[in-house]
Amino acid sequence: MGTTFGLGELGFLIQGLKWTVLLAAIAFVGGGIGGLGVALARTSTSRALRRITGGYIAVFQGTPLLMQLFVIYYGLGLIGLTLPAWVAVAIAFTLHASAFLGEIWRGSIEALPKGQFEAAKALGLHYVPRMRDVILPQALRIALPATIGFLVQLIKGTSLAAIVGFIELARAGQIVSNQTYEPLLVFSVVGAIYFALCWPLSLYGMRVESRIARAAAR
Amino acid sequence: MTDTPIFRPTRRSVLGAGLAALAAPALLTLPRDAAAQTVSDIKSKGKLVVGIQGDNAPWGFLNSQGVQEGFDADVAKLFGKQLGVPVEFMATAVANRIPALVTGRVDILFATMGMYPDRAKAIQFSKPYAANDIILVAAKGTAIATPADMKNFTIGVARSSAQDTAVTKVAPEGTTIRRFDDDAATIQALLSGQVQAVGANQFYPLRLNKSQPGAYERKLDFVRQYNGAGTRLGQKEWNEAVNAFIDTIKANGELAKIYQTWMGFTPPEFPTTLEGVPFTVG
Amino acid sequence: MGYTLDFTVVLDALPSLLWGCLGTIGLALSGMTLALAVGVGGVVARGSSRRWLRSIVIAFVELVRNTPFLVQIFFLFFALPNVGLTLNPTVTAIIALGLNGGAYAIEIIRGGVQSIDKGQIEAGLALGLHKGQVFRMIVLKPALRAIYPSLTGQFIMLTLTSSICSAISAYELTSVAQRIESETFRSFEVYFTITLMYLAISWLLMTGFSVFSRRYFDYPTR
Repeated sequence: MGTTFGLGELGFLIQGLKWTVLLAAIAFVGGGIGGLGVALARTSTSRALRRITGGYIAVFQGTPLLMQLFVIYYGLGLIGLTLPAWVAVAIAFTLHASAFLGEIWRGSIEALPKGQFEAAKALGLHYVPRMRDVILPQALRIALPATIGFLVQLIKGTSLAAIVGFIELARAGQIVSNQTYEPLLVFSVVGAIYFALCWPLSLYGMRVESRIARAAAR
Repeated sequence: MTDTPIFRPTRRSVLGAGLAALAAPALLTLPRDAAAQTVSDIKSKGKLVVGIQGDNAPWGFLNSQGVQEGFDADVAKLFGKQLGVPVEFMATAVANRIPALVTGRVDILFATMGMYPDRAKAIQFSKPYAANDIILVAAKGTAIATPADMKNFTIGVARSSAQDTAVTKVAPEGTTIRRFDDDAATIQALLSGQVQAVGANQFYPLRLNKSQPGAYERKLDFVRQYNGAGTRLGQKEWNEAVNAFIDTIKANGELAKIYQTWMGFTPPEFPTTLEGVPFTVG
Repeated sequence: MGYTLDFTVVLDALPSLLWGCLGTIGLALSGMTLALAVGVGGVVARGSSRRWLRSIVIAFVELVRNTPFLVQIFFLFFALPNVGLTLNPTVTAIIALGLNGGAYAIEIIRGGVQSIDKGQIEAGLALGLHKGQVFRMIVLKPALRAIYPSLTGQFIMLTLTSSICSAISAYELTSVAQRIESETFRSFEVYFTITLMYLAISWLLMTGFSVFSRRYFDYPTR
């Protein structure tokens, strides 16, 4: 209480940052795996699969992340799964990320020229090698800028985990601000840390995007 | 547009998803007896998960190293010691305390929970182990002498805290009440001038005056509330264990020691009954 | 005794929840309008010959896109009073949404304007169209059509983001829900219900956007 903003407080923020990075990493890896499944289901020949995953995407893109966190966090407890808080939050973020990444990658799979699919089929490649060796490598490359863009969104989105009592960077900032009574300083520092984390990613995304655009123009 | 994920769900899929989601609660009626908790459940689990406040010094707060401290933390640790299991703290925002308990996220609440009849319908209270005065705090010059004066100001409270209950009940019709997620945000709102007064506990003036000595004072007294530990409804054995623990620390002077550490005075007389709030499973 | 879901409390609170929906829609529409203004103004400033003006726009866009909305809105609400600027929660929320959406809108609109083929403009002038007509028919309309899906998608995201404004006690659906939850302690039921309400709001907006699109952009491209 009533301390000034010093190294100890900065250390506390860095503790929070660790959780921010960890949560985003788990969500990105989990969402990557889930998203791949969603993208493949969305582009499959089975109408039922397309419908189900379409609905899944619609729910997660049509509702606030904050509500997804609330419902999954409390809902898991209700169905008797008493997981640690961070696991519950990680599950919510993974489901969220799977929907968005799935939709991004579906878009890029469908953006590939039809000839690619036909050529791969003509070569006698079955579904698995066709997707693995021909379609996905190209599709994921086109999707790279949007994927990086979403990673940035995800990192920023972890700030909402604060609401279910999770002490990541944004929440740590609020607690420090309340101890030091220097909101202007503390929120500037917190903002700067997020910026330092996200900006390099955004820049990288832009570079990849212009490289792809140049390659396409040639 | 690297930052803009493709976002084009069709309207039809949104509609379909909505209808499917509407049907979901039907699948979700789950009387969950599995959560019936006993002391041996806790022991076999090997830890006691305690819901506590993370930003409300000296009741429950995280220090700069991120370690949970405070009055409630010490009481909870003592309980863990008696049970012979380590305590794991989960800092919950004020508004999330009861949800965290009833959905099974925590085993027990030592979270500055004022014992009120409406809350007693949602959770099982133990015997009281602390007292807390709920008051209104504002800067010295603020013209509030009676509850009626609140109408002229914007009042901040932590959402669904005891202060929220008290201010909402006493404030005259038409008073602007702003509700924030927790104590931290509420105090910030007062310091930054977004609100002119806040519903508070007895320690707010102390904390506020550390930043600006003598600037804030107690304006109105609402109630003296008693705090109890919270468990899920109907867990008879668990509730009895908690009550036995509270009786023990009251008798052996441990509670008085914790009181002295964090508040600098001795515990008050605790009531043996509270209107509408049973201490035991009936 | 286990936990049994009970949606009757939600039914009782339905009127205030519906008012909350209106609050969210109002917040979102005001935010979008401001975002559009910021977006158009930003694109104009971004194309200015003054380097400092361009730098400010670039810095603004990068700053907003690389920090969380929660931090942005806390900064506006809790920190700005320190420099003498105290705005009420709803105004703060609209400004925060407008600035946030505006930063994304700048990038989206810029992409649209750049996609216009210069040859088309020359062709339009050669056909004897006025400058105003060229701008309206050859620059603005096709550019708007090109960016429309991205822009409206971003606006729906903005609507969903408005739920975060509850943190500064702005009046909208989430804050109403939290109020009801704190009275009834039925958190899951309340949040589940308003999740559906958000879905409905998204659907409503999407329908509105697509009706508008069919009215104004329905002409053959080739």
